[in-house]
Amino acid sequence: MTPRNGLVLLVCVAASILESTVPFLFHLKAARADLLLSVVLYLALNDEVVQGAALSLAAGYLSDLTSATPPCLYTFLAVLTFVVIRLAGSAIKTDGGPQSAAVAFAASLIHSSLAAVLFYFVAPGSEGLVLQFVPLFWSALGTAIAAPAVFSVLRRLDKALVPVSDATLVR
Amino acid sequence: MRSLLRRYREPVFVAFLLALPFAIFAAKARKPMSHNLFDRAVLALTAPVEKAIVMAVNGVQDAWHGYVALRGVREENLRLRRDVLHDHNEASALFEVKAENERLKRLLEYADRQSPTRYLVAEVIAVGASPHSHVLRIARGTADGVAQGAPVVAPEGVVGQVAVATAHYADVQLILSPTSAVPAVSQRTRGRSTVKGVGDFTRCKLEYALRTDDLQDGDLLLTAGGPGFFPKGLPIGRVVNVAKRPTGMFTAADVVPAVSFSRLDEVMVVLGHLPPPSSVVNASTIGAPQ
Repeated sequence: MTPRNGLVLLVCVAASILESTVPFLFHLKAARADLLLSVVLYLALNDEVVQGAALSLAAGYLSDLTSATPPCLYTFLAVLTFVVIRLAGSAIKTDGGPQSAAVAFAASLIHSSLAAVLFYFVAPGSEGLVLQFVPLFWSALGTAIAAPAVFSVLRRLDKALVPVSDATLVR
Repeated sequence: MRSLLRRYREPVFVAFLLALPFAIFAAKARKPMSHNLFDRAVLALTAPVEKAIVMAVNGVQDAWHGYVALRGVREENLRLRRDVLHDHNEASALFEVKAENERLKRLLEYADRQSPTRYLVAEVIAVGASPHSHVLRIARGTADGVAQGAPVVAPEGVVGQVAVATAHYADVQLILSPTSAVPAVSQRTRGRSTVKGVGDFTRCKLEYALRTDDLQDGDLLLTAGGPGFFPKGLPIGRVVNVAKRPTGMFTAADVVPAVSFSRLDEVMVVLGHLPPPSSVVNASTIGAPQ
């Protein structure tokens, strides 16, 4: 594992801890940011395929672990999100904060809806397809607000870890 | 074959990463949740950090609130008894200890009233990481006697059930979850019904309430009890939006939970009161997303 991947994993763990504690500390009900989804979006738009997919899998696993959901629901969705965003990558630009926020907002809405649909079909013993737009909207809004910050952290991390020769070329 | 694999290395790898979690999800979605050794190791690393963050932030908040609350008193005391107020930090700390004592006293009194069922007071340290999960993490685990499926309550009413537990921590699935269903009885009419979660943070759905029961807005619903369910007589919530239908067997209504889930600092785990498999919360499908 490269130092960069190790640091990205640490960012994922930190994001997972923040996702768990911040809503609790600030008594947030629905407007909870999906930070790990933002990490997956960044990886899909900036990383190599194999490396990004593997890191997305790890991000999804962390989301699963702290959500008391059936195993691997969010792991699968994280990799799927990575693939979809990767395929659409040429059409998506996230140079600025508003752009990354917009991408995160849309991705969060689709991600959440897909989770509900998937759960309904694979676990029919559940209460059923529960798609409520208002909580989804607030969650997507929280994710959109947090996404630029997550992107910024990962961008800084990537810049800091650019090899010296590459950095010289960039200059 | 090898060259083909080399050529399509990326798509094959990504397809594998997609297929593996999906296969595990499809295979295990209906089975009771459990943590393997690796899961437990990761949780053992992250949960204490969560606990430390919550404790640190709460400590700062409490100290600040203590300061604000005591500032007026301090000014008055400075004028009247200058020699008494020399340690503001100590006063802040005492203020918080008092508040904590009051809270714990309420919990213990409540536990005494509910005997002989045994209750274990547990500190809430986090919520589910996914924005769509309805989970609280508590700082009690199997080492304290907490078991999967154990009911969790607060002085205000029913909270949920333990979905999964490690040695020192447990995740509690709230009654708001779409997979939760709690047998209920109306305090006023004694009519029976079921309170089901719908994934909404502010309300549940009332089901199987007979139309002849004359339910009204504001009626308090209590747990119906029975072997394997929540202890009898705990508040679940109040009935709202009763829709009287001219036909059909059941009345449709919503239920506003008695507990404010976003403001829980401590809860109580009911020990020795475990439900049978697939009773109140279907263990195989715990954790439905929105």
